[in-house]
Amino acid sequence: MLKLTQWVVLTLSFALAGSTSLGQTPQLIEAAKKDGKVIIYGSLEGDTVDAIIQSFKKKTGIEAEYWRASATKVMDRAMSEFRAGKPIADAIIAADNVMRLMQKEGYFQKYDSPTNADYPKEVIDPNLGPRYRNVVVGIVYNKNGLKASEYPKSLDDLGKPMYKGKIVMPDPTQHTTTTQWLASLYKIMGKEKSEKFMRDLAANKPIWVESLLPSAERVASGETPVAITYVKYAYIHGKKGAPVDYVREPKLIGDASYIALAAKAPRVNAGKAFVDYFLDDESMNTMAKLGEFVNRKGVLPPLPGADKIGFVEMDDLSTKDFADKKKEYTQIFLR
Amino acid sequence: MSINEATLPAERVNTSAWRRSRLGAFLSQPVSWVFVIVSSIIAFLSLYPTFFLFYGSLTDAPLGVPGNFTLQNYVRAYSDPEAYSLMLNSFIFGIGSAGLSVIFALALAWITIRTDAPFRRLFELTAIIPNILPPMLVSISWVMLCNPSNGLINGVFVKLFGMEKGPFNIYSMTGLIYVEALILTPLAFLIIAAAMKSMDPSLEESAKTLGSNEFGVMRRITFPLLRPAILAAATLNFVRAVESFDTPAIIALPARIEVFTTKIWREALGSFPTNHNLAATYGVGILFIALIFVYLYRRFTSQVESFSTVTGKGFRPHQIELGPWRYAAAGVASLLLILLVVLPILVLALVAILPYYHVPTWQTWQNLTMSHFEYVWATPRVHKAFLNSLLLAFISATACMILASLASYITVRTKLAGRGIIEGLVFIPWAFPGTAMALGLLWAYVDFPIPVYATIWIILIAYITRFLPYGLRAVTSTIIQVHKELEEASIVCGAGFMATFRRILIPMMRPGVMAGWIILMTIFLREFSATLFLYSPGSEPLGPLLYFLYLDGMRGRVAAIGLVISVISVVLIAIAQRYSRWDTK
Repeated sequence: MLKLTQWVVLTLSFALAGSTSLGQTPQLIEAAKKDGKVIIYGSLEGDTVDAIIQSFKKKTGIEAEYWRASATKVMDRAMSEFRAGKPIADAIIAADNVMRLMQKEGYFQKYDSPTNADYPKEVIDPNLGPRYRNVVVGIVYNKNGLKASEYPKSLDDLGKPMYKGKIVMPDPTQHTTTTQWLASLYKIMGKEKSEKFMRDLAANKPIWVESLLPSAERVASGETPVAITYVKYAYIHGKKGAPVDYVREPKLIGDASYIALAAKAPRVNAGKAFVDYFLDDESMNTMAKLGEFVNRKGVLPPLPGADKIGFVEMDDLSTKDFADKKKEYTQIFLR
Repeated sequence: MSINEATLPAERVNTSAWRRSRLGAFLSQPVSWVFVIVSSIIAFLSLYPTFFLFYGSLTDAPLGVPGNFTLQNYVRAYSDPEAYSLMLNSFIFGIGSAGLSVIFALALAWITIRTDAPFRRLFELTAIIPNILPPMLVSISWVMLCNPSNGLINGVFVKLFGMEKGPFNIYSMTGLIYVEALILTPLAFLIIAAAMKSMDPSLEESAKTLGSNEFGVMRRITFPLLRPAILAAATLNFVRAVESFDTPAIIALPARIEVFTTKIWREALGSFPTNHNLAATYGVGILFIALIFVYLYRRFTSQVESFSTVTGKGFRPHQIELGPWRYAAAGVASLLLILLVVLPILVLALVAILPYYHVPTWQTWQNLTMSHFEYVWATPRVHKAFLNSLLLAFISATACMILASLASYITVRTKLAGRGIIEGLVFIPWAFPGTAMALGLLWAYVDFPIPVYATIWIILIAYITRFLPYGLRAVTSTIIQVHKELEEASIVCGAGFMATFRRILIPMMRPGVMAGWIILMTIFLREFSATLFLYSPGSEPLGPLLYFLYLDGMRGRVAAIGLVISVISVVLIAIAQRYSRWDTK
């Protein structure tokens, strides 16, 4: 576990240096221009990628097209095209687990971007490159939906009967990140406590939604007072005026995301140029401003208290693990 | 006689000659060529992707990868007792929402077309509006209105009557049926209204002459004559409800109600590990249920002649004078339109000017914003999506209606052997949920010799394949009512098939054709379940754009785009109505 403040202190100079250069050779850009355009598949929010694509085009003159879907569907489509011998995407942006599964199938080629040097060594995967962001799951609540004395203080609190019918979260048998989150709770709570927490949470009959975003929206709208969701939504909805806050806990579990170059990328140089730009300072700052926990040295999200969050990475689950957990959580939460 | 024939036994030569003469006679008719071409196109469009879905349900590998034959997917899907409870849920949901939508549509169509209720023209135009709203927005708006904790309508009841909590809970089977019925009503309205406009008044006049009152005429003559259109609307809406995912995703999941589509999503497509084979297997289950309804529909409408009400003697339906009751009728229509149009549009408009999605408080009014509309105005991605969607909708709807008109003529009017197959073929892809169908299409066309994969054209093929039944039903319910004597008169006067089709049938079918075209245009402008899988970078239409903005929590932008789509669609509908002279003369 690494405190985000440590990265700030250690690497401020790197961040300043990084902002002046794209870290790309003119030869690569020239070759990329000959490719004409770059096509990216990913699960990263469209607004974020749109902003990055605009500035990428401005800097390099290369067109970029983005196909957006959930991480599961990105994998489905990319792998289907790969197996059929008709690859379309040059690069993929998705969550850790999905990227590793695709990598095992040989979907990616190794590419050491010059910008890798601006990331802490701990976050660089030998095959996939830098883990460019962490998405952290925690408790977000509506300050008007509860009395101040009722604000939850920790995850344990959500097991108390006073929160019965007041919690919204994704269906853990359907939403993969929630499955992983529950399966990884032992890392911050211990095994026995995490198992008891799950039973207590189930007894409080959480309201199921499709994913972590509608969970946050129901809290922002005041429909449900407490949500299990990404803590970044406390910043995103708070900025728009929603009376929301998040529970500051010393350790929070989260997932990681990667960008990687496709092994059969039809426009390999344009793909490399985009990966370089995506991991560079400018695009990482764009993401951080939108509340993302970016791993590039010296870049922090504007969420209050973000520097004090201890990030604990979720366990990667195998296909069998997911199937087993789905059965287990069906018994605990749905029966 | 050729040398080959000379060497054959006489009986075989005769049989062969007889066959050739039959084939020659068949092919000498222009209608036969039309039949061959139309049925070939429809067979290819529906069977090719459907094959991949069936194959997927019977193999142990993902579609596109060679695998082994297995029945394990069926064992897994249907040995689970939960499968039967969710089948029952889907059935209740489908029957309930289709039934309620037909009741709403029938009431609205009767008031606007057959009575002298005031403002009926306005009611008629606005009744179509909900069809152009993305269903997910209608569901969201009703969640804002009737959720048990802070729904706006519940809030009004609590304030007015001092209740502890509001009387409505949208998170229930009743809520689910109600919202889906509202979404489906415009489709039923278009089909029933088109048939109602083409009704022969002479039967009703005869009944009146024989002493029947208005209610008796309505019960004994009007509604029985409308039976094909009512059944068509109910059948379409039942299948549409059973395959719908938007409303269950927003309402059923928090209510802990499982239906077929949410099960497919949870078990096979939405969660990891994905299982296309299992999705295809559940899809086959829905297909089976849908086909039972198609069979019932075919039985109900088998006696085509008994529904022929448009004859050469003139066919403008007469208007029923309600006297003082006309205000009550207008009141009923107004209430329906408040539920169908006013409340959802008001909520949408509200969401479009809120800085974030929430139930408004006094503080809200100080923070209203136009930024979501500015986004629509200033973003090239949005402009491109509008262009892509309009192009796709126009071409697909037109192609669909041409195919549907020809297919409908062959099915209803000719005695050609095998004509029933056309309707069966059309219904196959329609009966699959959009997502499963899209998977089939994706795989069907990924290795297709003509490079349509990853282009805008694969979406066009998908739209025509999946939504042809909507066009077919709209035309069929009208063509059934057009009596053959008009065509026969045309043929007696020396006109050929094409001339009769162009001069007699097309003008007579115009209400149905235009109704179908409008339905399809509005569906295509907001379709996303199939498009989501098929669109590629650079060809993003409005459906996926709306979906991803929704996924990213940009409900204000979604509402703003939804409102712009509504305005465009209203203009299109007005133009189409004027062009078709649907309700004039």
